Amino acid sequence: MANFFANTWLLWLLITIGAFFYWRGLSSQYFSYVLHRYLLALGTLLVVSGIVFSLMEVLPGDCAEKYIAYKSTQGETITQADIDAERARMGLDKPLVVRWVKWVSNLALRGDLGFSCAKRQSVNLALGDRFWMSFWFCIAALFFSYLIALPFGILSAFSINKDWTDKNPLNSKREKIVNTIWLSFNKLLDLQLRLISYLGLALPNFLLALSIILLYVFAGESAPTGLYSDEWRNVPWFGDNGFEVDKLWDFLGHVWLPIFVIGWSATALQLQTVRALVVDENNKLYVDAARARGVTGMALWGGYPVRHSISPLFNSIGFDFQRVFNDLPIVAVVIGLTDSAALLIEALAQTNDQELAAGILFLVALVVISMNFITDAVLAAIDPRVRISVLGV
Amino acid sequence: MSNSKNPLLLDIRNLTIDFSTDEGMVHAVRDVSLNVRPGEIMGLVGESGSGKSVTAKTIMRLNPNNTLIQQPSSIIFNHDGRDIDVLRLRGKDLSVVRGGAVSMIFQEPMASFAPAIRISDQIIQTMQIHLGIDKKEARRRGIALFERVGIAMPEKRFDQYVFELSGGMRQRAMIAMALSTKPKLLIADEPTTALDVTIQAQVLELMLELREQYGMAMLFITHDLGVISKIADRVSVMKNGQIVEAGTTDKVLFSAEHEYTIKLLDALPNLSNLPEAPKVKPAPIVTIDNLSVTYKMLSVGRKAEYFNAVKNISLALPKGHIIGLVGESGSGKTSFGKALLGASPISNGQVTYHTDNGGLSFDKKQSFKRKDLANIAQLVFQDPYSSLNPRMTVRDIIAEPLEAMKLTKSRSETDRLVVEVAKKCFIDIDHLRRFPHAFSGGQRQRISIARALVCKPQFIVADESVAALDVSIQAEILTLLKSLRDELGLTILFISHDLSVIANLCDWVCVMRYGELIEQGSVRQIFLDPQQSYTQQLIASIPLLEDRGQSITPLSTVKNSQ
Amino acid sequence: MAISQLLAKFGRKKKPQSDESYYTAGQLSLIKDRFKRKMSGVVAAWILATMVIMSFFAPFFSPIDPTINGADIEYRRGSPQWIHFSDENGFSLRPFAYTYTKEKTGFDFKSLAAGGLDALDALTSSDALSSSSQNKYIINTEQRRYLQFFVQGWEYSLIDLSFAGFDLDWRSDRHLFGVENGEIHLMGTDEDGKDVYSRSIHAIWVTISIAVVALVVKLFFSLLVGGVSGYFGGKVDAVMMSFTEAVRVIPPIPIYLACAVALAQIDLTPIQRYFAIAVVIGALDFAALGRRLRTHILTERNQDYILAAQLCGSSTWRIIWRHLVPSFGSYIIVDTLINFPYVILAETSLSFLGLGLTEPINSLGVLLQKAQDPDIQQNMIWQFFPVVLFVFLVMAFVFVGDALRDAADPYAEKK
Repeated sequence: MANFFANTWLLWLLITIGAFFYWRGLSSQYFSYVLHRYLLALGTLLVVSGIVFSLMEVLPGDCAEKYIAYKSTQGETITQADIDAERARMGLDKPLVVRWVKWVSNLALRGDLGFSCAKRQSVNLALGDRFWMSFWFCIAALFFSYLIALPFGILSAFSINKDWTDKNPLNSKREKIVNTIWLSFNKLLDLQLRLISYLGLALPNFLLALSIILLYVFAGESAPTGLYSDEWRNVPWFGDNGFEVDKLWDFLGHVWLPIFVIGWSATALQLQTVRALVVDENNKLYVDAARARGVTGMALWGGYPVRHSISPLFNSIGFDFQRVFNDLPIVAVVIGLTDSAALLIEALAQTNDQELAAGILFLVALVVISMNFITDAVLAAIDPRVRISVLGV
Repeated sequence: MSNSKNPLLLDIRNLTIDFSTDEGMVHAVRDVSLNVRPGEIMGLVGESGSGKSVTAKTIMRLNPNNTLIQQPSSIIFNHDGRDIDVLRLRGKDLSVVRGGAVSMIFQEPMASFAPAIRISDQIIQTMQIHLGIDKKEARRRGIALFERVGIAMPEKRFDQYVFELSGGMRQRAMIAMALSTKPKLLIADEPTTALDVTIQAQVLELMLELREQYGMAMLFITHDLGVISKIADRVSVMKNGQIVEAGTTDKVLFSAEHEYTIKLLDALPNLSNLPEAPKVKPAPIVTIDNLSVTYKMLSVGRKAEYFNAVKNISLALPKGHIIGLVGESGSGKTSFGKALLGASPISNGQVTYHTDNGGLSFDKKQSFKRKDLANIAQLVFQDPYSSLNPRMTVRDIIAEPLEAMKLTKSRSETDRLVVEVAKKCFIDIDHLRRFPHAFSGGQRQRISIARALVCKPQFIVADESVAALDVSIQAEILTLLKSLRDELGLTILFISHDLSVIANLCDWVCVMRYGELIEQGSVRQIFLDPQQSYTQQLIASIPLLEDRGQSITPLSTVKNSQ
Repeated sequence: MAISQLLAKFGRKKKPQSDESYYTAGQLSLIKDRFKRKMSGVVAAWILATMVIMSFFAPFFSPIDPTINGADIEYRRGSPQWIHFSDENGFSLRPFAYTYTKEKTGFDFKSLAAGGLDALDALTSSDALSSSSQNKYIINTEQRRYLQFFVQGWEYSLIDLSFAGFDLDWRSDRHLFGVENGEIHLMGTDEDGKDVYSRSIHAIWVTISIAVVALVVKLFFSLLVGGVSGYFGGKVDAVMMSFTEAVRVIPPIPIYLACAVALAQIDLTPIQRYFAIAVVIGALDFAALGRRLRTHILTERNQDYILAAQLCGSSTWRIIWRHLVPSFGSYIIVDTLINFPYVILAETSLSFLGLGLTEPINSLGVLLQKAQDPDIQQNMIWQFFPVVLFVFLVMAFVFVGDALRDAADPYAEKK
């Protein structure tokens, strides 16, 4: 019995969550909306698993061949019959749909992502916490890009419809000159910031990472590849002297590179989004109305157009994550990271490890879909505009 | 306050404003001089683009970046005996005219409250900025104000978001917000335009009461002289950025001199001059039996709900007449009009057209050929902007029915018909190759009418077709419709919420409420002898010139009430 | 000419538009008008246009055949050759370059042959064999090579439509410039002696054309998905959209990779491979645009003018062609332009991993891939020239896209 539950725990968890939403949804429209989104998310995940699984079929070779090939390196002689037998044993002779159903049901029952042929262990084991590593890379890069895109995007929105010169006929010559300098300064700053953020897009990630490493090489210092330098790699976080602060510094000295590289390239799009959203909100009547009530400065900008642009920005965080992860594999290869993104490249391009690649891609999709689900649910709870549009109350 | 040297509260002199746009300079306001005395309601009348809103916004210095206020404009505001040069205010000093001593009510209360911030927070913020009181006190005052402006359950409403209130309620909340800082001057920019007639009457009543209670002055901006007649002490009429007529309300209303003012006055309903009911009611062109329209409302995670927009209406529309269909927003009048054209989901009943060539009939299956109906009945839309495809030339738009149904044999024949109908609708033939963006609302509405007429239908549904237009343009369109009725024998179902338009145009009137037809009759019957209490209420809330002087408190009684 | 026009544009006062031309202006000319007001967009558009024209007529603009046939064996790993107007030998109105010759290897083979171990030591420690000294050339400043224009050189086909079945192959051997007595390598050469400048400008067109193919394919799929979904609505819409939603959450580059790996198994000619990659990139990228088109159609479908057309008796097809398609035409153009840089980046990413186009095809991705070679980074920095071009190209696209986005819907600001 315990075994049965241990093998099907994920399904029960999913059902319990669904049942909870259903139960609350009986009395609350909000929860019936959440249940709807929840079911939709699960449905999308199912479709994703289908797409990912069948796409991986295009990779050459199958598990049986690889397994047997491995055996042959161990000195055994192999015949076609052996391969076929192995194939039958692994169930690879069955049609795609059957294999997919098996994969999905293992996944849904106990979170089992399948078997990695190249590594000859289960995908869950092969991944370990590497996926979390990639996850935090992406989150950190997103954070970095928002850190830049938000203030600069707002600034850009601020100066978008302004003139270069002050033409107010009521102003004296001196006032005009002072205002013109201020306005031109703002415009130039905006142009520069946009140039810099677009440069992040225009410089391919791998090239940027390479160039930075190159700079280190030219300077004669060791490049911050990997996550730690050799001396710290095997030192535990908590050594004899308590927490190893130096290891933390070493870690930070390395980890900034991938975050900076993928973060910068994500900034361009984020900046455009922020700018468009803030400009959009700023043109609305309520901003004028607030101004007419005497709200000024930060209270006006922060409290009105910016505050109202946050929800749609927050709503796109799932897809931002996807976009950032999209860039990660190549950077990981260049920098020599060992996270799941690097593993993905390895699985796709070198070892043709179908289930490992499918597993990683599925996890990324899972994160994106969960984020979308959470942002939808949160926004419907806290943003009255979203609430009125999805719930009608 | 009595030691003030300046008897005027607000003194605008020689205000001249240009906008620098990519198409060149636009002269928005030309040499406007205007003043408001303490406690007085000053009306500012004009159409869209006349510069009245620009003038009002300039008082609060809310101009967009491309505004150029030219020399020698000046705006002097008398604040507690101190003369303030508004145009010279900078930074923090601006708060005097922004909420401090001057408040503003906007046309669209929905859009002027931030949607994601509670109304309470916005009002409390305003009070804290200007009055320096703590949050608790501000809240107490805010709720008291809500109660004062007549919002039921003020404590609950106070903490709601703007979309949770109804239209009239929103405008009341907006008024409460404007009053929260006890301004000396209240600028009201078309505060009642978006409201239904009955609610408009209530809001105007409220504003008059508040003026009396708080002793504040008002600059009341509107396009509607009827509203002015109810509320204002003095009036200035603006056109093309200039003031063309000014004086006391009585002088402007009863002895207007400028032709433009006279034109505006002519558009007002005159109940003493309603047309006689036609002696014989001609045979109907369309009969409607037990018509119901039901919309399916889908909401997330719920069963589909049904909404009955039109309930069991039976009606016959006499041939060659204009029939008005009146109702407030949500009364189902538009659904009814579209149902006649097979563009609403009919759930029950039948629509039958009686024409010379056999007629046409359809029920909820709507199994008719679109082409057949298009030749009998057409629609003229409410919004002259969204109803014309911006990517087609005027010629193509008008020719669309002909080309779509292949009614003509050659392009030259199409062109001939287009030119013919364009002339009928007073569209300049040279303008046919222009795109819609070249035209103003009224001209666009002519194009829309021409398109409806080009395949020579016998029946037209005009759905709020003049609601988006200025009064003087409205009059032109109404004249056009009348001439089309007389020349072509066209039957028109004219849907409107505006009783004054109905009174000026229609032969018969039907009144709708909550999807039901509650009263019908000739114009005279409905306007002079309404039977239903709702109709009576509706008629009573029309701002009429004849009522002038009955409902308002003369200025003299409030002048020194402070 | 472009620059002088540009300067003239900023210098002169904007003349007031004649009203009639504005009133009779269609959608495109309205967009153009609005676009022209964005200075950064206009500048970027000129840069972009210059690059596209140069790369389209790349053979004409490049003095040397970029393929291995044109490789200069005498000048491998050579650094850029500058164009001068004056030097210590005097000033010349005609621009000229110098003659570069390979340094004679200074090893003393005789002593080596004599078995002197010292000599071998000297040789290995003298850096003569290290890669950095391989691109040492003697610049003969006495021997000027004057620049010539419209010179005859290698033959190429300016416009070749023979592959499309047309009997048109316009061949020419004229080039914009060249030098007398030898060749000029403006941006140096690579390790085979191929001219970097010529390769780069040829590569731009390859990259742009691959992006064009990809975007056309993308457009086709997006229109199919968005159009069917938006027009039919209901169940079709629900199914299509859940599929699109699923595609949208999967990161695309790994998917491209998988497809590229699969393609690598198939024996393809470089040209087939080129098209296959473009199709893969385009076909998998339908989700975002398809979804937006659907939303657009759904909202546009409820516009009054569509109802008006229906009431006028227009057929479904007429409504689609006369009303719906033009309404998102401008949108599609803008979206396509905005997506250019992303498609180009996708191509370079694939090439970087060795899974996209490969040598000897000249694409920017292929040239960029070389930049990861430490030898090039340290000794042949001029091979970063394509990187510079690439950055300019992408930036130009982004800025043009930005300005176009603002100019895109000329009817949005009405009302």
